[in-house]
Amino acid sequence: MASSDVVRYRSPLRSLVNVLVAIFLVIYVVWTVLPLFVMFVSSFKDLLEAFKLPTVGDWSGITLFFDFTPTVKHYQSLFLDHNFSVYLFNSIVASAGSALISVVLGAMCAYSLSRINFRGKQDLFFWIISTRMAPVVAVMVPLYAIFRGAGLVGTIPGLILAYTTFNLPFAIWMLKGFFDNVPYAIEEAQMCDGATRFRAFLSILPLVAPGVGAFLVLCILFAWNDFLFASIIGSGGAKTLPVATKELVQPQNIQWGSIMAAGVVTTLPMMFLGLLIRRYLVAGLTMGAVKE
Amino acid sequence: MAVTTAGGGRGIGGGASAAAGKQHLLEMREGARVISHTPARLNTAPSRAYYFYLMLPAIIVLACITLYPFFWLVWMSLHDVDVGAAADKWNDFANWIRLGRDRKFQDGWWLLLQYSAMCMVLQIGLGVLLAVILNGSRHEKLLVTIFLMPMMMAPVVAGLVWYYLYNSTFGWYHWLMQSAGILGERSILGDPSTAMLGIVIVDTWQWTPLITLIVLAGLKRVPRDQLEANMVDGAGEIRNFFQITLPNIYPFLLIAILLRFMDNFRFIDHILVLTGGGPADSTKILPTYLFDVSFQFFKLGRGAAIALTLLAVTIVLGLILVRVFQSPTAQTRPEDS
Repeated sequence: MASSDVVRYRSPLRSLVNVLVAIFLVIYVVWTVLPLFVMFVSSFKDLLEAFKLPTVGDWSGITLFFDFTPTVKHYQSLFLDHNFSVYLFNSIVASAGSALISVVLGAMCAYSLSRINFRGKQDLFFWIISTRMAPVVAVMVPLYAIFRGAGLVGTIPGLILAYTTFNLPFAIWMLKGFFDNVPYAIEEAQMCDGATRFRAFLSILPLVAPGVGAFLVLCILFAWNDFLFASIIGSGGAKTLPVATKELVQPQNIQWGSIMAAGVVTTLPMMFLGLLIRRYLVAGLTMGAVKE
Repeated sequence: MAVTTAGGGRGIGGGASAAAGKQHLLEMREGARVISHTPARLNTAPSRAYYFYLMLPAIIVLACITLYPFFWLVWMSLHDVDVGAAADKWNDFANWIRLGRDRKFQDGWWLLLQYSAMCMVLQIGLGVLLAVILNGSRHEKLLVTIFLMPMMMAPVVAGLVWYYLYNSTFGWYHWLMQSAGILGERSILGDPSTAMLGIVIVDTWQWTPLITLIVLAGLKRVPRDQLEANMVDGAGEIRNFFQITLPNIYPFLLIAILLRFMDNFRFIDHILVLTGGGPADSTKILPTYLFDVSFQFFKLGRGAAIALTLLAVTIVLGLILVRVFQSPTAQTRPEDS
């Protein structure tokens, strides 16, 4: 399957290329990990320590980066002074709520779409997927006007509905591909044994459970990481973690330690969830166009 | 297995063929005797209704939160929309006419194009290079896991971390570049000539791995016999790459480009955090401008007109993307390979 292990001959040129490739890889890995590392380390630094920087051109000054006494006071202040427990709660409820609604409704819809044909199915399908691709800012303009009229701005239900605009089409699209792979014969056999249609549908759920679970997690991830909807639709009463993190940036007196700590609080759960569903991640991020 | 009309298969997609096949088996087992096959209810009208009912909740919800707002958007673009309680006023296409002489609107499109082009070139180049290196590497699993990490990060948080790294008084990347002599006294985000590049680099940091993963999936499906045949014909590795590998991964590249292109339209989180469109509007790409008009100045009517132009372009891109998705070469389910 792999195309790389075609016969290769050893030559000086080849070993030079190998060395260059190795150097490039190391640099790229460092480049990828460094911002995450800096965020993590800086969240444990005292305010003044975070601002320390060697003079320009002083390469040995890099050690200054590690010159600090770790403190967890930023994490404490986040939850004691900045109400982060509330924002954490908002984030969890809004993202989980929207993910649940999307996956339950999406599974029903995707199952039906995968089992029957009708005129205009392709058009319906394109409409569903295009709602997912629409620019968030463009969607938000009318949504804001409507939600303001309905009193939904600044409430968690409003935020859940807003997240559903991109999570529901995603769930339908992805789960349809999943149900397509389950042979109809299984349900048929169930129904021959006297099961109702709904029982037959339930009977194939265990088969798609891993996928449904993975897409549930992905929906949570998309909603959790959202900033635009949360900052406009959720402004006021339903502040989520990304918005709260951004608001720590004040024109004067920027609390970098707290911001980095808030970044860690926002990022770590999603990184953990992402690695948990690693197998489905690429498919999810590419709208199912690519499977690993 | 051909879909026959046996059992009155009124358009049940995979189901009809499975039913037909099963019936076929039964007939074979029973010899010439035709037995009464599948339950009569199976493919009749009531069952179709059942599926439609199952579909309905999702469709209704989706219509309420996307179709209804869309008509609102059209309505708003034709009216003066007041943030207060006053009724919307018809304004003879003023919102649309104004777009024609709105410099910032035209610059917004131009900057969006520049921004997307820079992101594409950098990310596709790096992404393909990395994928080729990773393919068949001993540490592929580990490296892919590392590359996944930035993608899990909220773009806002990524923007903030980079804002910190770029800072001209205490940012480590700023220090690094000054020490290496690349940058003068200027700050990266404070200067109109480098601000856009700064944002492109953040976007590249976060999303190049996605392109790598897509291309990697494509590389796994390049037929080995073609590569070998070409080598027998005397092609070196580089010629092999351009003659065999590249044409084979072309649909994957197209998917990667379109997905990233649309994400550049969809998300402006990085820009909002890093520059907010400044300095001197040098990073005010169209979605950012739309954000300002709608949610800083609350000119929702004008915002709606801008949003519609953005939507129109996205829908065209979406049509192309769906066509690529459904083309036979991009069908990449594991069982096909």
